[in-house]
Amino acid sequence: MADQADFERDATQYTRQLYSAAMRMTRNPSDAEDLVQETFLKAYRAYHTFEEGTNLKAWLYRILTNTFINKYRKDTRRPSEVDLGTVEDLYLYRRIGSEESAEVARTTEDRVLDGLVESDIKKAVEDLPENFRLPVLLADLEGFSYKEIAEILEIPIGTVMSRLHRGRKAMQKSLWEFATKRGLVPQGAERP
Amino acid sequence: MSGRECDDALTNLYQYLDKEIEVTSLEQIRVHLEDCSGCLRSFDFEARLKIVVRERLSEDVPAAFLERLREALAREAASSL
Repeated sequence: MADQADFERDATQYTRQLYSAAMRMTRNPSDAEDLVQETFLKAYRAYHTFEEGTNLKAWLYRILTNTFINKYRKDTRRPSEVDLGTVEDLYLYRRIGSEESAEVARTTEDRVLDGLVESDIKKAVEDLPENFRLPVLLADLEGFSYKEIAEILEIPIGTVMSRLHRGRKAMQKSLWEFATKRGLVPQGAERP
Repeated sequence: MSGRECDDALTNLYQYLDKEIEVTSLEQIRVHLEDCSGCLRSFDFEARLKIVVRERLSEDVPAAFLERLREALAREAASSL
């Protein structure tokens, strides 16, 4: 059992991370602030039920995620199970650089990785349907394990893995489009 | 990239990068990556992309919001006394 008096000290170290996740979930600062504040107030009120020594970060994310789903999901009855089209593996990698010269390819890789700006990456995540966006955020922004993500989202581990896999590939497709728009990649170069 | 070993490595790519892979598969992939420069390059690219994504998704919390949050928690603490 955790002591409410310790809440601020223990929990607020995660504010930046929770706010970053909330921004990608709600897609705007004002809703993100509301979401984070509501998460902290709920967590504070329930802090006596939190078992000390267990995973506080995962516990906070579970509250954040549930609050988001209950408050901002348009269809409140059912999760929106949107599917993504099929995207091939290594989508971005395969499109960068040419086979003839590893050096040229490496230069293009560097240019793409350096040249994709924050807003590109953020947009690529935000454009994912929610059922893919949440696992991607929890894994790639927060570094949660598959098991932790399964517990936070209350879905089976196999589902976490397949959504993560497909979500990341869809993200790469968006990133390729941004890279092309920014002129970071030569035209017509594709790895076999 | 070709061959069954390359396919196996690719299938396990995300589990490998996420450190969610069993020891036996991990070893198989390690050995394969030592031999196969094509797979090594693709794994390396994915690993770098993962870092880039993580770094560029982080947000600065507005100072005014931090202040409001502190006040909200203080109010909550006072009202629950």
